Amino acid sequence: MLSVRDLGVAFGAVQPLSGVSFAVGKGETLGIVGESGSGKSLTAMSVMGLLPLSGGRITGGKVEFDGQDLTKLSERAYRKLRGGRIGLITQNPMTSLDPLKKIGPQVDDVAKLHMGLSEQAARARTEEILGTLRIPEPALICERYPHQMSGGMKQRIVIAMALAADPDVLIADEPTTALDVTVQAQIIRLLDDLVKERDLALVLITHDMSVVAQTCDKVVVMYAGRAVEHGPVETIFDRPRHPYTQALIACIPRGLDEATRLTGIEGTVPTVVNYPSGCPFHPRCPRAEAICATDPPGFSVEGDSAAACHFAEVADAQPA
Amino acid sequence: MPNLLEVRDLSKRFTSAGGPFRKARSMHAVNGVSFDLPEGRVIGVVGESGCGKSTLARLILRLIEPSGGAVNFDGDNLLAKSPSQMRKLRARMQMVFQDPYSAIDPRYTLTRAVSEPFEVQNVTPKKPMAEEVADLLEMVGLNPGLAASYPHQISGGQKQRVGIARALALRPSLLVLDEPTASLDVSVQAQIIGLLEDLRTDLGLTYLFISHDLSLVKYFCDEILVMYLGRVVEALPETAAPARHPYTRTLMESTFEPDPKKRRLIAPLEGEVPSPFDLPPGCAFADRCPNASALCRTETPVLSTETGHAVACHHPI
Amino acid sequence: MNVSQMAIRSLDAFARMSIGRAFASGVGMVAGGFLILLVLVAIFAPWIAPFDYAAQNLMNANAAPGWPHLLGTDEFGRDVLSRVIHGARTSLSVSATAIAISMAAGMTLGAAAGYFGGFFERAVMTVVDLTWSFPDILIALIFVAIIGPGLTSTTFAIAIAYLAQFTRLTRAQIVRLKRETFIEATINLGAKPSHILLKHLMPNAIAPVIVVGMLAIGDGIVLEATLGFFGLGAQPPTPSWGAMMSSGTAQLFLSPWVIIFPGVAVAVTVIAVNLFGDELIRALDIRDRLRGA
Repeated sequence: MLSVRDLGVAFGAVQPLSGVSFAVGKGETLGIVGESGSGKSLTAMSVMGLLPLSGGRITGGKVEFDGQDLTKLSERAYRKLRGGRIGLITQNPMTSLDPLKKIGPQVDDVAKLHMGLSEQAARARTEEILGTLRIPEPALICERYPHQMSGGMKQRIVIAMALAADPDVLIADEPTTALDVTVQAQIIRLLDDLVKERDLALVLITHDMSVVAQTCDKVVVMYAGRAVEHGPVETIFDRPRHPYTQALIACIPRGLDEATRLTGIEGTVPTVVNYPSGCPFHPRCPRAEAICATDPPGFSVEGDSAAACHFAEVADAQPA
Repeated sequence: MPNLLEVRDLSKRFTSAGGPFRKARSMHAVNGVSFDLPEGRVIGVVGESGCGKSTLARLILRLIEPSGGAVNFDGDNLLAKSPSQMRKLRARMQMVFQDPYSAIDPRYTLTRAVSEPFEVQNVTPKKPMAEEVADLLEMVGLNPGLAASYPHQISGGQKQRVGIARALALRPSLLVLDEPTASLDVSVQAQIIGLLEDLRTDLGLTYLFISHDLSLVKYFCDEILVMYLGRVVEALPETAAPARHPYTRTLMESTFEPDPKKRRLIAPLEGEVPSPFDLPPGCAFADRCPNASALCRTETPVLSTETGHAVACHHPI
Repeated sequence: MNVSQMAIRSLDAFARMSIGRAFASGVGMVAGGFLILLVLVAIFAPWIAPFDYAAQNLMNANAAPGWPHLLGTDEFGRDVLSRVIHGARTSLSVSATAIAISMAAGMTLGAAAGYFGGFFERAVMTVVDLTWSFPDILIALIFVAIIGPGLTSTTFAIAIAYLAQFTRLTRAQIVRLKRETFIEATINLGAKPSHILLKHLMPNAIAPVIVVGMLAIGDGIVLEATLGFFGLGAQPPTPSWGAMMSSGTAQLFLSPWVIIFPGVAVAVTVIAVNLFGDELIRALDIRDRLRGA
């Protein structure tokens, strides 16, 4: 449904994103996982065609959606697509909603704009969508203002807006980061159900490997503006081949399994202005050799998965 | 081991004054919390936003004045201490804060930040100050060459290490950790947790660990207190103990394992934490609880060990 | 190290300082340079002024600008240039003294109000706001009535007029800083309130207060001139820009230079102060912190 090939992005002279590839099909959930500054949100912005707003531009690669290359799309055509066939859910529901407008009209507007529905038809659709999101008494909620609702409820409204125009692809950028764990579980379950019921393609951007493990079919691991490993979620967790993926998995506490001691990754996450040369992970990598500092590694493919590492021979499956 | 910290029936009520267009409102941010922290142990306090866990930490250290209850630290009743006695005692009970980005004065170099505890407590270190600072920085895994840097020149993880060095400068016995890794990346979180584990064994520290992350608490702590809306609803004597309070169980089921093979069908609990203002009588969890009965809506359950470990529920699992 | 190296190093250090950075732009350099020149003129007025500012020469009253009286003479035949130069001394010293008093008092009150809060804060802020609601002239009249006209009354009147501004700004800074984690962390180290205030709160709060003080000196000069113009400030023969303009009004059409040159002096000084103040705000990056005060 949506495929990205070798995407690169530049802001002036800095190149915060390069060589990012992934593909996601109907009824499939793809996770993009990485730490702060890894470029995962920027990837979402590029796909949504929102880069020009912040002064960035795509320098290379393709973003294919339903057979057409989005990088060549005009702004006018993009506007139709955005919020229409591609829905976006952002991290902070507080800033995605207009505080001065009631919930009903905010959701109605999307359907009116993208589907050309009348006032009444749009409202009927809004109430139906709110119902499928398990929001009790949709008609009543439509008359409320955002500040009268809890964080989890607001996030549901944002999801409703993303769904209003019946999209094929949903991009969710850290949709649960601002929420409490019990509410996170509700939202994750909701997204899971939506993917199955509506045959959606979901791109889930997150920093949380546990969320990926729970929900995704495929995963792209990003580090310092590059995709370092991608593949089916079971393979990535069972036999991670990139040292960064291995380290990232070893960083997650497993409460019940006390035998494994948490091992952090030495050093700090690089920022855009000081991305290392060669393999971006080499300064923190336990396996790095001279070549890693000079040559950016290509992808070593094995089965469905690929790792960008000079030494991507099958490593010991580290996680339990 | 003797108890380093004994907390008894600790409470804090916040009130907002009423006005011509507003009702006076009050909330129990912390309500009747009691527990013992033996020397050398690590107790984790876990709960969602608004459960009062951060307020509890500040009440124990008397950074917020409690409305009622008692805190005994190493045999001293903290609430009976005068401000100047309290200032002295603070050297022995320190805290690491959630937000490392604002935890150091932006105008202070690391040297000045790390030597400030000595200045404040009027203590002369055994070694020359520069050496002492270098030792402290090394102890928390920082290059002493950073001593002349300012906070804006170092990363978030490094700032948190400075925060830990400051807290440990005077060799306290109790360290309260208030979400010390919540604003850090996972790879850095793991470093900091590892450091805290090492320091605990090396220095014989006792920790009170506040967190919203149940898997982290399970990994790091010996015992767990689960809080909901100001009250301790369950005290797990060991991390592997089964949940007996419906809320604890919900919390556990909402926490995902980092393993696709352990994926499970989430049957999430509906609803969210209600507003802490003007709570109805009875169990605060009753509205979301699948097992709630009429009794739960009239009578507040108290922590009881009758049927095993301490749980505050009329119908424990 | 020789003297020139030392000079270069201290200039370097100055340029790295935030105040030094205000000189970096063209506007900052011109305005700052003018202000430095003005201060030097005020300090060395007795040596720079070509004539005695008080020496009367009725034979040569109301002489037009020319030689040897470059800016002409007033109705008593006194040299206008010398009086403008000495006037700089009066204006700058009165305004700077007044603002210094105002800043010191305002910072103390504001810091105490912000730090201790509660009833004390409300009492201080009410009184301070009260001083703000009175017209400056009225405050000056009260002081004139008590101590009599003169530079002392003017100084106190200006100090009171700006007290509210410094108090409010300092209080706003302290209240904001008090919520920072490093303050809580330092309290938890066992620090006394005096340590918190003097070692953490004030050093972090001071930059915007200094900039506002800098700008207020310009306003103080205008206020001093106004009071002088109404005869409430400097008394004859002490030269002050305001008093000179006042005496010049009588011969506005006969000898306009008597009123024009002190007027230009006030205007140029105030413009320079404001331009330099803007550069300072930019150099210290504190525009946000000046809001809401």
